[in-house]
Amino acid sequence: MDAKSRKRFIIIWAVILLIILIGAVLTTDPAQEEEPIRTIMKDAVLHEHSKVNFLWFGPVNPAVISAYTVTFIIFIFALFVRVFAIPRFKDQPGRFQLLLEQAVGIFDGLAVSNSPHRHAFLGAYVFTAGTYIFVGTMFELLGVLVPATNGGYIALPAPLADINGAICMGVFSYSVILSGGIAGNGFKGVLNTLKDFSLPISMSFRLFGALLSGALVTELVYYYMTTSFIIPVFVAVMFTMLHALIQAYVLTMLTALFYGEVSERHPADQDTAALNKV
Amino acid sequence: MPLNIDVQQILLHLFNLVLLFGILYILLYKPVHDFMDKREEEYRKRDRDTKDALSDAEKLKGEYESKLAEAEKETALERARTSAAAEAEREKIISDAHNRASSIVEDARDKAQKEHDRLIARAQTEIADYVAMAAEKIVMKDEGLHDDFDSFFEKVQDTDRNSDNG
Repeated sequence: MDAKSRKRFIIIWAVILLIILIGAVLTTDPAQEEEPIRTIMKDAVLHEHSKVNFLWFGPVNPAVISAYTVTFIIFIFALFVRVFAIPRFKDQPGRFQLLLEQAVGIFDGLAVSNSPHRHAFLGAYVFTAGTYIFVGTMFELLGVLVPATNGGYIALPAPLADINGAICMGVFSYSVILSGGIAGNGFKGVLNTLKDFSLPISMSFRLFGALLSGALVTELVYYYMTTSFIIPVFVAVMFTMLHALIQAYVLTMLTALFYGEVSERHPADQDTAALNKV
Repeated sequence: MPLNIDVQQILLHLFNLVLLFGILYILLYKPVHDFMDKREEEYRKRDRDTKDALSDAEKLKGEYESKLAEAEKETALERARTSAAAEAEREKIISDAHNRASSIVEDARDKAQKEHDRLIARAQTEIADYVAMAAEKIVMKDEGLHDDFDSFFEKVQDTDRNSDNG
């Protein structure tokens, strides 16, 4: 074996050894060292162990902290926009003004198209709900760490990836629909709204399921070291953005749709009302 | 509760959501919406003003066209009136000219008649003189008296006839 061949053999041998070593390190079973995946997934859903102290309310699910953090971020942004951007608005909008006008215009258009007869409050509500769902879901990407009650640190999830947050959003949306029914049709509007009694449950659990599934997939991906390279860029960022947009659109669209349906005065009712007036 | 549902946390989320609704409505949604409404109203107003101005212009154009038509009608009427007056004046001038021409012709005829009469009278006088002279000559010579006398009278008669025809 000449010197050149020996050198080539040593390089190949070293590369093979390195690959095997990397493989051995990457395939370490994390369950042997950390919490098992089952515990992590269950805790991500139920938050039975990982809680966070919140003011004088005691330990709460981390999503509550997320919710208030998101509100704070939105508040600061809105304040800056109100003070510095809106007074400088022009008839021919720039990029940022166009973005804001588009955001308001999209939700306002959604309210107008679904409930043309009564849409002032609905437009403001769907704008809030859409913004909250979108920003809240994107907030998950920041992975802000807060101290948990069990001594460790926990990354703040999306506010609506928590069952309580999702129920709140579903019930609040249902209340908005109910208020539209009352404002538009009085007692008949209440009956029309109560007819869809499953709506708050379906809205809550759709939101919870969609956002939680995103969180669980992300947890799974990050749990194993082998899937922690490149893949999270797509899974975490792209999927989160996608379901942030989809869920914001679905909930606002459903709310606007049902609001328009229950608050619409039917021609027969109008005729009766006109006759009664006469 | 099952699934770790907690009413207190739901209320905390609800508080947060209502707070966020107020913040977004006051700081973002309403000002942007108001600005968009105001701009839309401004554009609507401009559109309305433009349409009004266009309508006014159309109305003005109609009025001008109507005035123009009226003026044209008046001009045509005036032209007809002037033309009729000119025609009457022309007729009058022609008639006067005819009258004058007739009067001139009449005068000329009178003058011609008078001249004619005067010439006839003079001719008659001259003829009488000539006859007297001729008679004197004949009487004085006394030859062929009878024939000459007859031919003399025939000539006199021919002369009279010719002057009557002329």
